[in-house]
Amino acid sequence: MSGRHRLRAILTLAYLNGVVPIRTQPLYLLNVVASPLSFLFFVTIASNGVLLDYAVGGGMIMMMLSVGTSLQTDISHYKQDLKFQDVVVASPVAAWVYVGGMALSELVYSLPGLAVFIFLWAINGWATLFGALTLAGVLLLVWAFASALGFTLATYFEDVRETFVFSPLISLGLSVLPPVYYPIQHLPAAIRPFAYLSPTTYAADLIHGAVGLGGPSLVGAAIDWSVLLGFTLALLFLASVKARWREP
Amino acid sequence: MTAAIVARRLSKVYPRGRISALLEVDLEIPQGDVFGLIGRNGAGKTTFVRVAATQLLPTGGTMSVLGHDVVDEADRIRPRIAAVPQESRPLYFLTVDQLVYLYLRLRGLERADARERTDRVLAELDLTALAHRLVSRLSGGMRRRAMVAMVLASDAELLFLDEPTTGLDPIARREVWAAIRRAQREKRTVLLTTHYLDEAEALSARLALLDGGRVRLEGTPAELRQRVRLPYRVSVEGVFTRGELEPYGEVSDVNGGHLVFAQERDARELAMAALGRGARVAMAPVTLEDIFLQVVGRRLDDEPAAAEGA
Repeated sequence: MSGRHRLRAILTLAYLNGVVPIRTQPLYLLNVVASPLSFLFFVTIASNGVLLDYAVGGGMIMMMLSVGTSLQTDISHYKQDLKFQDVVVASPVAAWVYVGGMALSELVYSLPGLAVFIFLWAINGWATLFGALTLAGVLLLVWAFASALGFTLATYFEDVRETFVFSPLISLGLSVLPPVYYPIQHLPAAIRPFAYLSPTTYAADLIHGAVGLGGPSLVGAAIDWSVLLGFTLALLFLASVKARWREP
Repeated sequence: MTAAIVARRLSKVYPRGRISALLEVDLEIPQGDVFGLIGRNGAGKTTFVRVAATQLLPTGGTMSVLGHDVVDEADRIRPRIAAVPQESRPLYFLTVDQLVYLYLRLRGLERADARERTDRVLAELDLTALAHRLVSRLSGGMRRRAMVAMVLASDAELLFLDEPTTGLDPIARREVWAAIRRAQREKRTVLLTTHYLDEAEALSARLALLDGGRVRLEGTPAELRQRVRLPYRVSVEGVFTRGELEPYGEVSDVNGGHLVFAQERDARELAMAALGRGARVAMAPVTLEDIFLQVVGRRLDDEPAAAEGA
């Protein structure tokens, strides 16, 4: 398959699994948007608006993580119930093209939610070129590692119901417990080091700089980017060697 | 004729439960024809197809598909194959037209080529009227037909159809048969697994009978008949007792009479004797079902073997 054909396959998958179902049933959009917007609402109301900036940054990260959990459900369902992965395996489409197209299709669902967050980001006067580039870079990396993680796990599941166990755990471990929606200083000092085990802590640190919260120092930003990039590459590598494209 | 698939001592043991689905299978599947794999549930048909379609790794032996090793050169095989897996279902939110067209685009076909192939296959399989209907609103048989349309429309040289007509009504089955015959005329290779022995016989240039993970018989339908011990069947109604028929061959009781498997000479003698006594009699070469019964010792629709899912 040439590069042009691969790109065509990725866009076809994004259209097939992203655009077509939404045109058939627009309510699908609410599924991805509901949780991040709920958190935004809850955090903002509970803090009397003080944590709005954290909630906007956290919401964007959660949107990207939702792409990973939705991908996990879709890939598991298509593999186990429809045997769609077997159809694709026996075709010119490589595993990474399949994941890329499917992950892009999940991104389509998150666009309305992202638009809401970007709107809030802009009207609060946080929009700068540096901020926009930081947001784009961080969200791209979170999307990539969440997708790699979702795909790898999905290929091991033998029933789509297993995703119902893992998705909330991933959500909890990567977006609710780490300081994504609140400042890390709010965590008790004893458990604060554990927050640094989550890559989303570094993503949030970078995004805080883009939403007018000061952000990390130059060295801190370099560490954040390195950890986030390293984690993403590690998960992409894990997906390439451990995901079950062909059954053992 | 060159072989599309060559299996040598091919084995597959599933890691969970240590189930042996294929046991040192040797099989050559020629290019450019329909090859039928028949056998009961758990015989190893689907496992064989999945290994050949590069969806499953073997645990022993070798297999080459279109000249390439399935383990090390899967990437060179995949652009040239297409598969309808057993129990596969189409993505329910697509229309029939989208299902076929987008599959072809996914395989890298140009827009115009994909459109032309889609329209042609939908017409051939009598699906044009349903082209814009959501797959979720089709019957099970129609969905299966849409899946078959998808791979028949592709540019693949080797098609894997794992029980493609299960659940179809007789008319729909014939339409799928016609489309498979078209693939055959185009000199594409089709590996077909089926429970319907009439289908295997009607479509396949060669057949292999799998049982318990082993190939028990392989050849053209005519060759298979020659290889069985008793190649003729005589059904006799009425007047004969079982004892009178036993000297001619193997006797089974059937509704209102007996069925005798016999050598050609014995079958002729029995037929003449039956006619002489005014009994209704029919003599014919054995069917695939009869061959299956003689070789495996059970009918195809008897309860499945232990290696379920293989």
